[in-house]
Amino acid sequence: MKVYRIAYLGNDGEAAMGLETALKGDGLQFVRAGGDYQGMQRAGEFNADIILWDRDNQPPEAALPIDQIRQSGLTRQPVIVVVRNDDVEGAVKSLAGGATDFIYKPIREDPLPRVIAALNASSKQRRIDWCNRVIEDTNDQVKGILATLADPAYVVSPEYQILWMNRAAEEIFGEGQRGGACHHIFYDRMEPCEVCAKNKGAARWRATLKNGKSYRFISAVVRNSKGEVEKLAVGTDITPDQEVSKIHKTFIANVSHDLRTPLAAIDQYVNILMEGLGGELNDDQKNYIDVIRRSSFRLHNLIENLIDANKVLSGDFKLKMEVLDIQDILDVVLGRLRSQAEDKGLTMQVQVADGLPPVYGDKSRIAQVVANLAGNSIKFTEQGMLQIRAGFMPRDEGRIILSVEDTGIGVPKEDLGKIFDLFYRVEKDKVYVEEGAGLGLAISREIIRAHGGTLWAESMEGMGSAFHFSIPAYMGEQVTR
Amino acid sequence: MAAEQKTILVADDDKDLVMALSIRLKAAGYDVISAHDGEEAYELASKNKPDLIILDVRMPAGGGFSSIDRMKHSLTTRNIPVIFLTAFDDEEMREEGRNLGAAGFFRKPFDDSEFMAAIEGVLSTPGAAGHGGM
Repeated sequence: MKVYRIAYLGNDGEAAMGLETALKGDGLQFVRAGGDYQGMQRAGEFNADIILWDRDNQPPEAALPIDQIRQSGLTRQPVIVVVRNDDVEGAVKSLAGGATDFIYKPIREDPLPRVIAALNASSKQRRIDWCNRVIEDTNDQVKGILATLADPAYVVSPEYQILWMNRAAEEIFGEGQRGGACHHIFYDRMEPCEVCAKNKGAARWRATLKNGKSYRFISAVVRNSKGEVEKLAVGTDITPDQEVSKIHKTFIANVSHDLRTPLAAIDQYVNILMEGLGGELNDDQKNYIDVIRRSSFRLHNLIENLIDANKVLSGDFKLKMEVLDIQDILDVVLGRLRSQAEDKGLTMQVQVADGLPPVYGDKSRIAQVVANLAGNSIKFTEQGMLQIRAGFMPRDEGRIILSVEDTGIGVPKEDLGKIFDLFYRVEKDKVYVEEGAGLGLAISREIIRAHGGTLWAESMEGMGSAFHFSIPAYMGEQVTR
Repeated sequence: MAAEQKTILVADDDKDLVMALSIRLKAAGYDVISAHDGEEAYELASKNKPDLIILDVRMPAGGGFSSIDRMKHSLTTRNIPVIFLTAFDDEEMREEGRNLGAAGFFRKPFDDSEFMAAIEGVLSTPGAAGHGGM
């Protein structure tokens, strides 16, 4: 239970006695001290919650020494003035001077309700003060943490005025920039940056700062103790990431260059031999060279797929967006796949719903996904059929759904969640069922995601599989590129 | 007067590929000269004034880009069409090649018939090298 401490400051022993008797009880503590500055300091050391200040025998015109009281360390405590019952003017004067209430002496009335009322009134104010202090403290703490960051952080007003910068920011932009416009100091711009103009509050952006490094910034709205809105921005140095990704890109470019170079020579000499430019070949020799040709072709495909997987999975690919007819995409892909299916004795059925709206996408990338799904179906189906269907789903402002279904070996239930993982391969009795690197579905899923779509699968082991993807239909609205 | 035999300069540091190309090109009726680095490519182009140059991008002693840059700035070679043949697959590189005045860009490994058709196309178009910056 909270104990309220009451301090009587004055030299009237009778009044003090009367008050102490009336204000005794559970939850109350009473202390007496003189009405001078020393007495006030004693009350402060006592952690008094409320001050009863006796005017003693001061003349009626004497004011409440509120400044003295506050300076003594009693910064927030309510003050009740104890006045002689004939000193009405003194009571009024004290109230005007900042007292919360007054009590007449000699003590006739119970002073407790007055004390409680004064404590309540002050506790409300105290709560507000406390909240403000917490805000201030928190702001100070946050700034304290941000001050030690190795990366820049700053606070700006809604008018783009720099209010605060941490050490790292000062090192980049120089000290003494408080009050300057952030777009001007940071980016040498006369107008606010686009990201601030667009987003009043939380935002993310990237910027190269005056020290030549690249940063990713995140900003948030904060309120200061006066309730004013400010914007706090914290940067993260992404220069190392960018350097790593640059090294990675160069590495991949060089490796793929060096892998393709010998393939070109193999190709050329195989063709030279096959065309008889190196002399006539007998049938056996032609067959052997055809093996080299096919192997080289497979190797080439594998290399290109690996390079492509690296691009797609590291997000380093751009879609060439255009309005596309699903039928056109199917025409591109299925011509080649149909003969593959027929070679295996599989029937291939294609159904495109009438009046299907177009999609907005990258033709070769979507074709790549369809080729991957249909290619897998052919690969894992020994007999039966392969069905490709395209239809419309009215959901989410219209989506095109494309399904590839087969009567193949299917995917075991426990593997359905894994088939889109990188390097997943169909395994049966610990033996890989078909050749492949396990890249296709992972790449396909990324491509569909990049189109704002989803790719998913259903399967019954031994009965067949169905792969579906849905992407937003192009409903003819203006698309800004 | 019989049609003059066209000369093609093949510049690539992969000597095996240069030989393969020269077998193929000679079989198609062209004269072939070859270089194995950027410097040699420029020198042979200036000296022999071939009708077409097939240029690798990454070569010692100045790659294909610096070779074509020098060729396009020299009166003797500026009108000779250049087809790039590289194992790099980079859109920016293609763009750079185009800006430097290349008449074509092929990626290794390449399709023989497309490649031969492009050569024939460039050689039969008068002024196909018209990227000379005139």
